[in-house]
Amino acid sequence: MADKPIRGNALIAAIAFVTAYAGARLLLKMESPPAARVLIALLPLPFFAAWLWMTMKSIATLDELERRIHLEAAAISLSLSMLLFMTLGLLQIAIKLSLDDWSYRHTWIYLPLFYFAGLAIARRRYA
Amino acid sequence: MKNRLRVLRAERNWSQADLADHLNVSRQTVNSIETEKYDPSLPLAFRIARLFEKSIEEIFDTGE
Repeated sequence: MADKPIRGNALIAAIAFVTAYAGARLLLKMESPPAARVLIALLPLPFFAAWLWMTMKSIATLDELERRIHLEAAAISLSLSMLLFMTLGLLQIAIKLSLDDWSYRHTWIYLPLFYFAGLAIARRRYA
Repeated sequence: MKNRLRVLRAERNWSQADLADHLNVSRQTVNSIETEKYDPSLPLAFRIARLFEKSIEEIFDTGE
């Protein structure tokens, strides 16, 4: 079973990352020199790294079934992500995809959504 | 895999949460083993056997 302090720290890190990401998106709407814009764009990275590290620590404290559920969620997420990007790649060849709708900043959010979907599917299997 | 975990637990008047605490696993794990949706790892199977003072074969049945 995951320790509550570790899970709590992972949640705080997640909130910090989301805040940093939202802040970066807001700051990038303003005019600024290219070097500053690159730094702003990279601002969420250390927060994401911290959240990822704490999440890995949290998973390491889980019991065997909970770890298997996360593994299956990762497998489902990876498969769906590959399907998404393969499909977008082919569509990009077939038609003109609008970058206002299908650029990296729009598609990355699907990866964690696929992971949460995978968690729900895997949990149902063992419930 | 068929098992007698629920019966053995009931003999001691333990809830699934009680058994989970004894085995240091989550209640979900105990429930999944009892409902035969999950087969425990070998170390966990040995812990279960030691807890109930029985052999693994007396608790789990592969059905072969």
